[in-house]
Amino acid sequence: MNEELQLKVQAYLDGELPAGEGREMADSIARNADARALLAELKNTRGALKAFEAEIKLPESRDFYWSKIEREIGRLEKPHSIEEPAWFAVGLRRIFAPAGALAALLIAAILIFRQTPGFAAGEPESETAFANADAFTYRDYSAGMTLVWLSYPAENGFADFLPSDTLKYE
Amino acid sequence: MLPLFMIGWCLHAHEVEVVEVGEGSELKFEVQLIWGTNDKKSPDPKHKPVELEIRKKLEDIPLKWQHYFEVSRKQITVPKGGKAKELLSEKCSIEIKDIEGRKVEVKLFDKHGKAVIEHKQPLPKGELLLVSGNAPDKTAWFIAVKQIK
Repeated sequence: MNEELQLKVQAYLDGELPAGEGREMADSIARNADARALLAELKNTRGALKAFEAEIKLPESRDFYWSKIEREIGRLEKPHSIEEPAWFAVGLRRIFAPAGALAALLIAAILIFRQTPGFAAGEPESETAFANADAFTYRDYSAGMTLVWLSYPAENGFADFLPSDTLKYE
Repeated sequence: MLPLFMIGWCLHAHEVEVVEVGEGSELKFEVQLIWGTNDKKSPDPKHKPVELEIRKKLEDIPLKWQHYFEVSRKQITVPKGGKAKELLSEKCSIEIKDIEGRKVEVKLFDKHGKAVIEHKQPLPKGELLLVSGNAPDKTAWFIAVKQIK
């Protein structure tokens, strides 16, 4: 017995077939032993279920009862939305997220630049000021040497005219 | 995320570390007055060839002079956070100031006592600072400063 005939037997038992088709189905069942056996089993099953089925009376109308079920299903199926943070939390995050990144960069910069002896944040490594002369500074990091050269006139209060007087020391 | 107060903490912690690098209550510097010339001999018999360490460093710089003579040498003791002044010749004197153990300030004065240059930089032991300029007859003067303690 194929599946289609099994379904038709069930529909016949439930009274779901049109009148003409129902009569034809009754003839088919009468001729088919398997169909008769299936019909008998289905009748037994239905009878057993009816006998044990408790009679439940709804406290409200049938439509209202089912609408409640539908709403509950809809509520449970609603995807869990991420809870919206409070407005102040959003504001704090907007401030502290870039501030945190900036802080990390600043600390990294401090740690790198402070490796240089004598370096202080925001302070140049060396500074030179002159009274009335120009100068240049030459720094040789590998030799650990700094040369500051003043373009100071040779004849001045620092080094006199005659070579013998220059840098005179007694 | 690093709270902002962490920045202040790091700055403070590092500042303390830097200040505490040096030991003792004073710094000692050696200062040499040097004359650069192309003459093999200095006209002043008191002058002697500059020490090897400084001569090598001077020769590494593309300067035009071939001979360097030590005119005078002084040791200057600078109290931590303080300063000290010393006469190098009739023409010049030097003042060295310790700036929070991080830098030194070197100030040169001419024969009138006027400051002609003020230079600040870190000067840890082993490093050399040369302040220099033109002297008559196409010669040069150098003041070499190094920390020895």
